[in-house]
Amino acid sequence: MTRQDHIWKWTLYALALLPVWWLDVFVLNRFPLFGVSPMLLPVAAVTVAVLEGTAAGAGFGLGVGILCDAVYYGGWGGMTLGLCLLGWGAGAAAQYALRRGFGGCLLCSAAALAVIDAARVVQGLFTGLAPLPALLRVAVPELLWSLCFVCLLYPWFSWVRRRIIKFLRL
Amino acid sequence: MKDFFRNNGFLILIAAVLLAAVTAVGSYVLQGVPNPLENILGVVTTPVRNGISALAGWAEGIYNYSFHYDELQAENERLRSELARLQESARDAEAAVKENERLRELLGLREQRRELTFESATITSRSTSNWASTMTLSKGSDQGVAAGDCVVDAAGNLVGIIETAGSNWSTMITVVDATLEMGALLSRTESIAILEGDFTLMAQGRLKLTYLPESTELLTGDLVLTSGLGGNYPSDLVVGSIESIHTDASGMSRYAVIAPSADLDSLVQVFIIKEFDIVE
Repeated sequence: MTRQDHIWKWTLYALALLPVWWLDVFVLNRFPLFGVSPMLLPVAAVTVAVLEGTAAGAGFGLGVGILCDAVYYGGWGGMTLGLCLLGWGAGAAAQYALRRGFGGCLLCSAAALAVIDAARVVQGLFTGLAPLPALLRVAVPELLWSLCFVCLLYPWFSWVRRRIIKFLRL
Repeated sequence: MKDFFRNNGFLILIAAVLLAAVTAVGSYVLQGVPNPLENILGVVTTPVRNGISALAGWAEGIYNYSFHYDELQAENERLRSELARLQESARDAEAAVKENERLRELLGLREQRRELTFESATITSRSTSNWASTMTLSKGSDQGVAAGDCVVDAAGNLVGIIETAGSNWSTMITVVDATLEMGALLSRTESIAILEGDFTLMAQGRLKLTYLPESTELLTGDLVLTSGLGGNYPSDLVVGSIESIHTDASGMSRYAVIAPSADLDSLVQVFIIKEFDIVE
């Protein structure tokens, strides 16, 4: 792939991320289920990592992480580094250990969301935000509800990837 | 895997670490002020947020008209009768205010005057995280909004406090956010207490009133106001009313659960108190 192809490819992925961001920040938070809204951006980062592999996953994770730190309340830089590492991990897992398909994406997303929510629970315990059961009552439904959106995001980014391959004649 | 590390991995990882560190240091140093990236994103997305908010309001209006016409008609009739009653109350209140002014002059009491400077703003987006209760507003530092400013609804009920002020946007934590803490005054008994957000109650849209004096007699429905002690926030803003009274796990002290007076779910427009001055 030429440099121009790379630019086109990642521009198209960034454009594909826009409706996901819009859905996450403006729509789904107005209709919480069991009191929680899903986190779509981390799932989007993992999905692209599963489809594109380690290096691309880390790069896309870095970009999405910056976006997460900017749009999610209380961002302090943790998501930038976290999603970069999770993108790399998901890409590596899909490339070397799992199949690059819906199942692999679901497993990687579950693992990534579990890491993010575990970090939030630990942070909540550390700062004395609430006792563990109260934190888990938010973390577990958030993880499960977010995981449901793999069914939407995986086909979406797979379609985008197919269009990119066709568009760039790869 | 080796190729990844050799070709790109370290560069991306170093970039991620540097960016995370810059963001972390920035958010620590610039407390109450967004980092440049966050600010630019906020500035760019504010018109989008405004548009989406307006579109959602329009769609909601159409939906309500289509599916809740009977309810709206009944509500309209109820509101008409309430308006008539309030107009009568307002006339009575106006007479009472005039009488009060006359009595103050007669008694030579110093008038306690509070000057509040308001900035109206619309809510452009709501909580983006399940771990905090926040709202994004359409006004920011360009309009004189600053971190720590109180936000009230049209009726003067406290809605929240500005946490971060960008150029043309700001983020506010609502009164039910788990991190909120401010002085409170019980209207009936004039007792001082502390209002605290609680993570468990946040999901129910409630907050806590703690550090209650032992002698204070609490009643359900008692109005809770801001105390204004310390000068950080204006006094006498209505926060809510006591919904229930409990004894904490240790059995040593009591706390009350407060239902906010502001309807946080359906708010569209709010007013930011940019300046307040207590003259006694």
